[in-house]
Amino acid sequence: MTSNPTQTDVTVSETKDPATLDVSVGPQHPGSGHVRILMRVDGDYIVSIDPDIGYVHRGCEKIAENRNYVSNIPHLERPCIIDAIHLNWAYVLPVEELQGVQVPPRGRYISTIAAEMNRIMSHLYWLAINAGVFSGHTTIFMWAFGDRDLFIELAEMLTGARLTYSFLPPGGPRRDLPFGFEDKLTKLLDYFEKRLIEYDRIFFSNPLVVARAKGIGILTKEDAIKLGVAGPVLRGSGVKYDIRKVEPYGAYPDLEFTIPTFEEGDSYARFLVRFEEMKQSISILRQALKKIPQGPIARKAPLVAPEGEAIGRVESSRGECAVMVMGDNSDKPYRVRVMNGSFRNLVAMPYLIRNVHIADMPIIYGSLDYWPVEADR
Amino acid sequence: MSQATIQDFMGAWIGKMSEIVKTVTGTGPIKYLINWSRMYALWPVHITTACCSAEFGALMGPRLDPERFGMQAVAGGLRQCDLLIVEGTVTKKMAKRLKIVYEQMAAPRYVIAMGDCACSGGLFHDSYSIVNDVHKLFPIDVYIPGCPPRPEALLSAIVKLREKIRREEVFA
Amino acid sequence: MSQSSLSREEGIVNKFKSRFTESVKETKIDRARRITVTCDKDHILEIAKFTRDEIAFDHIIGICGVDFPTHKKLEVLHFLGSVTNPDMHGIILILKTELPKENPSIASVVSVWESAHFHERETFEMFGINFEGHPDLRKLLTLDNWEGPPPMLKDLKFPEMSQR
Repeated sequence: MTSNPTQTDVTVSETKDPATLDVSVGPQHPGSGHVRILMRVDGDYIVSIDPDIGYVHRGCEKIAENRNYVSNIPHLERPCIIDAIHLNWAYVLPVEELQGVQVPPRGRYISTIAAEMNRIMSHLYWLAINAGVFSGHTTIFMWAFGDRDLFIELAEMLTGARLTYSFLPPGGPRRDLPFGFEDKLTKLLDYFEKRLIEYDRIFFSNPLVVARAKGIGILTKEDAIKLGVAGPVLRGSGVKYDIRKVEPYGAYPDLEFTIPTFEEGDSYARFLVRFEEMKQSISILRQALKKIPQGPIARKAPLVAPEGEAIGRVESSRGECAVMVMGDNSDKPYRVRVMNGSFRNLVAMPYLIRNVHIADMPIIYGSLDYWPVEADR
Repeated sequence: MSQATIQDFMGAWIGKMSEIVKTVTGTGPIKYLINWSRMYALWPVHITTACCSAEFGALMGPRLDPERFGMQAVAGGLRQCDLLIVEGTVTKKMAKRLKIVYEQMAAPRYVIAMGDCACSGGLFHDSYSIVNDVHKLFPIDVYIPGCPPRPEALLSAIVKLREKIRREEVFA
Repeated sequence: MSQSSLSREEGIVNKFKSRFTESVKETKIDRARRITVTCDKDHILEIAKFTRDEIAFDHIIGICGVDFPTHKKLEVLHFLGSVTNPDMHGIILILKTELPKENPSIASVVSVWESAHFHERETFEMFGINFEGHPDLRKLLTLDNWEGPPPMLKDLKFPEMSQR
C-alpha cells in the first residue's frame, strides 16, 4: 500500500493507459446496489475506481423547503429506509431546539428503544446483503433476513409500520409502548442473543470469510481521521468516537454501554465492529426497558419555528448523521442540510479500492456499508 | 427458375408454414403449456431502483420464500430474466438505464411497478429529478400501491401477473 | 447552565480573536458546543489551516450552501468536528463565508481537509459556487438528472421545476 497519496491520484484520469480496461459495475449488478462503480482494471488488479452516484438523487433538501416541519418527516426518513428512526431523530432534534421544546423522559426512552431496535435491524440488513451476498455467503442472507423480520414485527407493533415509521414528530414519539411489548421484546432479545453465537460460528469465524476479509482494505488511523469517515468505518480503524458518548441525546446519558473499537483497520475489523454493536444494542435495550420512567411521552410543539439555525446529530448505523435546519418564522424550513454517514464514507471508497484484486472489491465495498440512497438523498 | 421466382416461392411457403404454426400453438393445449411454463418461472432482474428494494429484499427472505413461486434471483444473465420490478422512485438518471435494461431483456418480458413512486411519482412527485410517468418508458403490467408495499403485496402482484400471463396470447 | 461550562468554547473564540483581526469578522457562541465564525472569503485557506493545526479540528462534517436572494448573497458554511482532541469532542465549529450572487467563487479546502472532496462537488453543482483549486470539480448527483441552473437556488420554484 503506497503511503498516503493525495486524492488527486485517485480520480480516474482522462489519459488512459492502453493496457487497462474500463469495467462498469453498474446499477444492474448483484454486487453494487443503486450505484455505478467505474473500475479501471489491469488484468486482475483494479488500478482505480470512480464512484458514479446520483441514481437515487431525489432532491430531498429542495423538497424540504416546500413542506412544513411535520410533513418533512416522511421524505427525510426515506433515504435510509432501513434505519429510518435515526434520520427522523436527526431531523427532529434541531427543530425541537429551534422551537424550544423539551421531550419528557419517557418519550426519550421510547425513542431510544426504537432507535436501538432499528440499529439491530439495519446491521442485520448489512449482514445479509453487504457482508453476505456480496461475498457469496447466501446462508447468512437467509438467516439474517429471517431474524430481521422478527424485529420488524415488533416495530410494527410499536409504531404501526414495517419500515417507515415517522415515529418522532417534533415534541416526542407518537405512541406509547403497547400492552405486552416489553415481554415480547425481552423474549426476542433472549432468542437473538443465542442466535448471535450461531452467527459467529457460521459467518464471523468462518475460515472462508476470514480469509477473504482479513488484511483487505486496510484504513490506517491517520487516514481515517484525514478522510473524515464516520461510524463503524472510523471505529474499525482504532478511533473511539461515537456521538452517543460525545454529545449524548435521548436516554443515552443514563445507560451504560461500551464503544467497540478495533485497531487493525481492515475489512474484517469493520465486520466485527458491527457485530459487537449488535451485542451492545441488546444490552442497551434491556437497560432501557428496566429503567424507563412513567409519565407523559410528548409535548405539543408549535407549528412554526423562529428564525435561527440549529444543528442536531445522532449516531446512525452508518455513521454520524448531522442535520442543519434554518428556520424563518414560518411553518416551512428555509434550508435543511442533511450530512449523513454514507456520504462521508464515500471518500474512502476510491481510496481503499486501489491496487487490489477484483474479487476484493465487493468485500471492501460491503465493509464500508455504503447505502447509496442515503448518500444521494 | 430465376432467383426472384425461387425467393417468392420460399417467402410464400415460409409465410404459410408460420401461419400454420401460429394457429396450432396459439390455441389449445400448446398455448396453455407455453403460458404455464412462462408464468411459473418468473425470474426478476437484479436492479434496485430506490428504497422499495428493502421490501423486495424482505420478499426474497425465508419468511415469504418466493422460490416456491418460481421466482429465483438470478445473479448474472440479464437475457435470461423475464421480470423487471421497478422498485420505487425512478430518477432521470436511472430511467435511462432502466430503458436499456428493458430493451436487453428477451421477450416475453413483464414489468411490475412497485410502490407509489413507480406508479405515479409518489412522495417525491414535485422534485426536479424524478420521472413521474414511468409508463412512458415501457409498458407496465401490474401496479402495486404502497409506500413501501408490504412484501405480501408484492407476492399478490406476482400471482395477479400470473393470471394475466395465463390469459395472454402466445405471439403478441 | 453556568457560564463556566462554556470555557472550551470561549478558549476557541479567544484563539481566533488573537490570531486574526480582519479576516475573522465575527465570532459567536450559539450555545454549548456550537461556535460560528464568520470569515472573509479571501482568507479562508489561512483560517482553515489555523483551525486544523492549532485547534485540531480535523474533519469536515459537511459543507452547506445557503441562498439569500433578498440580500443578493450566497453563504457557504463549513461544519468542522474534532476527533483527535478529546477536549474538543462534541463541538461543531461553523465557518461562515459570504459570497456575492454573481460568479460566486471561494478557495477549496481540499488541500487542508481531504474529507471536503465530495461535499464541495455537491455544493458546486447545487449552488453554482466555484471552488478554486479543487482537483476534480464536476457534477456529482445531478449528472444525468437535471439540465438547468443550479437546483438549490431559490429562483427554481415549485411546481414549475418538476415539469421540465
